[in-house]
Amino acid sequence: MFKYLFAKAEDIPAGSAAVYFGFSSIVWFVIGTGLGSFNAAKLAFPDFVMGSELLSFGHMRQVHVLAVILGWISMAFAMAMMYITPALGNTKLWSEKLGVWNCFLWNVGLSLGLFLLWLGVSSGREYSDLPWFIDIVVILGVLLPLGINVWMTIKTRRTQGIYTTNWFFGAATFMVIIVFTVGNSPEFFQLTGLTEAYLTWWFAHNVLGLWITPVAAAISYYVVPKVTGNPLYSHRIGHLHFWSVVVFYSTPAAHHLMSAPLPEWLKSFASVEGVLILVPAIAFVSNLLLTMTGKWRMFVENIEIKFTITGVLMAIPLNMQGGFQQTRAINWYIHGTGWIVAHAHLALLGFSTFLEAAAVYYGLQTLLRRKLYSLGLANFHFWMLLIGFTTYWVSMTIAGLIQGAGKIYEVPYIDVIIAEHPYMIARWVGGTMVFLGNCVWLYNMYKTAIAGTAIPEGRLPHELAYER
Amino acid sequence: MAWKFDNPLHTLCTDDQNEAAKKVWEGESLGGITEDNNRLPQPILGLLVLTIITAFLITFPLWGQRPNAQIYEEYIALMDSPAIKGKSDVEAMDYIVSTVKASGSQWAALQERHPLEMDDLRLIKDAVIELQRQGADLREYTVLGDRLVLANFEGNWIPDGKGGERRQRLQPWWDKGYTIDIFFIVIFCVACVIVVKRLPDYGWEPTHHGH
Repeated sequence: MFKYLFAKAEDIPAGSAAVYFGFSSIVWFVIGTGLGSFNAAKLAFPDFVMGSELLSFGHMRQVHVLAVILGWISMAFAMAMMYITPALGNTKLWSEKLGVWNCFLWNVGLSLGLFLLWLGVSSGREYSDLPWFIDIVVILGVLLPLGINVWMTIKTRRTQGIYTTNWFFGAATFMVIIVFTVGNSPEFFQLTGLTEAYLTWWFAHNVLGLWITPVAAAISYYVVPKVTGNPLYSHRIGHLHFWSVVVFYSTPAAHHLMSAPLPEWLKSFASVEGVLILVPAIAFVSNLLLTMTGKWRMFVENIEIKFTITGVLMAIPLNMQGGFQQTRAINWYIHGTGWIVAHAHLALLGFSTFLEAAAVYYGLQTLLRRKLYSLGLANFHFWMLLIGFTTYWVSMTIAGLIQGAGKIYEVPYIDVIIAEHPYMIARWVGGTMVFLGNCVWLYNMYKTAIAGTAIPEGRLPHELAYER
Repeated sequence: MAWKFDNPLHTLCTDDQNEAAKKVWEGESLGGITEDNNRLPQPILGLLVLTIITAFLITFPLWGQRPNAQIYEEYIALMDSPAIKGKSDVEAMDYIVSTVKASGSQWAALQERHPLEMDDLRLIKDAVIELQRQGADLREYTVLGDRLVLANFEGNWIPDGKGGERRQRLQPWWDKGYTIDIFFIVIFCVACVIVVKRLPDYGWEPTHHGH
């Protein structure tokens, strides 16, 4: 990467930025899930690694969360944008050099931010934990350059139309800058009290709703038609999905604070909008599953489709949970419990991770022009991720219900801890499976880069998956 | 940009515009990807309508609210009753609850949804009596453990008894949050219909690369 930072633009091979982002995202995924496994071990075995304040759960939790969101998920998004946006416009990335710098600054800024978080330099607000000067680095050095590259690539496209995926990419890169800037305003302007609480959850909700969810969905709008060769089932449903994300996903932030003294009308409004998150979900899932018509065998045979359709199917329980758990009656029971942790992992480790993994698998093979080193290892990765995640999700959901009952019926805290202990161990087992699967993935992609069979001109990687 | 309004649910474009759109649609390859022009399947449309109705039904009428102080007024009035003298807390509470229920209290449903114990009643008793002495409307006060706090509903402006005005803090059967939701949904549906009706009618399907 370093040799291209100061190289002439024409000397930088097309796809370089996407490849660097792709490998960076996998490395951050290994780091992020490794930290998650470590943290889960501390909850499952309270005596695990004692004596160091820096290795306590309070120092480590937010490092795991931000490593996964800004490292794995967002870098995988950047990777996807760097190769999908130009591909859909029949053009090149607007600036490969900007992309390489973007990747460099992203890795440096995130490393610095996570190091500071680890030391305890934190805003103290969940999800927007990074201190204000790192927020500025993220906005100006990470998100803005990414946005400029995406917008300019769309602007300089050589097609008349803009495909659905690029609507989402263009809009999401714009919206995430607004979300980061406004959502971190409590720290920029020393806002406190209810304003701080609301903006904290406005940020957290919209990072999910206007960045992670739409970009992950946009990726699948590319991968499924591209790999299956089927046309996207409906351009019209794409419109319904896009605009319902904008209208219904941007508004329900108050449903994260249903027990706070916000105006009740705001909570009523947010609660209805929260259920209406199902509108984009239904549009998205139906459009993709109908696109699969006649190609369902690929759900078994093809690794990219396997990941993508699993992610698409996870959007169903994800949005059913998300839609209903925020209503007053249900939120009263599960708020502040492991149920919410399970839901957050269903969104980030389930739904979006499976979609991004497909994009990274497909993108790296396409850009490196090399066939996957080992399909067996890729399948191993898939099942480790799926079984590990499911173990995590089920165990944390049960633990959340136990905690909710304990909260409502005022069961002594220590009794709740004892009751949920087996599920904390299961959580650690599930998380560790994900971590180990990712280590295998990193190895597989490294070997693909250096020893994968070259893909002949005019062929696509998935066409060769079963050829020797 | 011309618009056609004679058959708005069929198409809002002129024939020329539709023909131009079809030509681009069929002739253009977006990185090797093509799109069909299918309509939303009717069962899915039904599911969306059901979702919108459910969104209101499951949050209305403000399910899961905290209890207000009014629903415990009758309980507190019975706390000093001679009939509970000598009873244990559990027996006394059973007596209070069954007596109030038998009297046909209008708060029976809320009392059942928000049960409490004698110790809880003791914690709020003095505060309830003080508010009664001030002539306050107990329905405006939310019970938060041992505290009674003015609820955060934003009702009509009413005289505050001191020459000014204040918000009424009663739980409404309907609040403006739902009104805003209806506004959002209507605008969204209208905008979506306009967007898709600017496309060629769904009765037309593109052929991709000659097949």
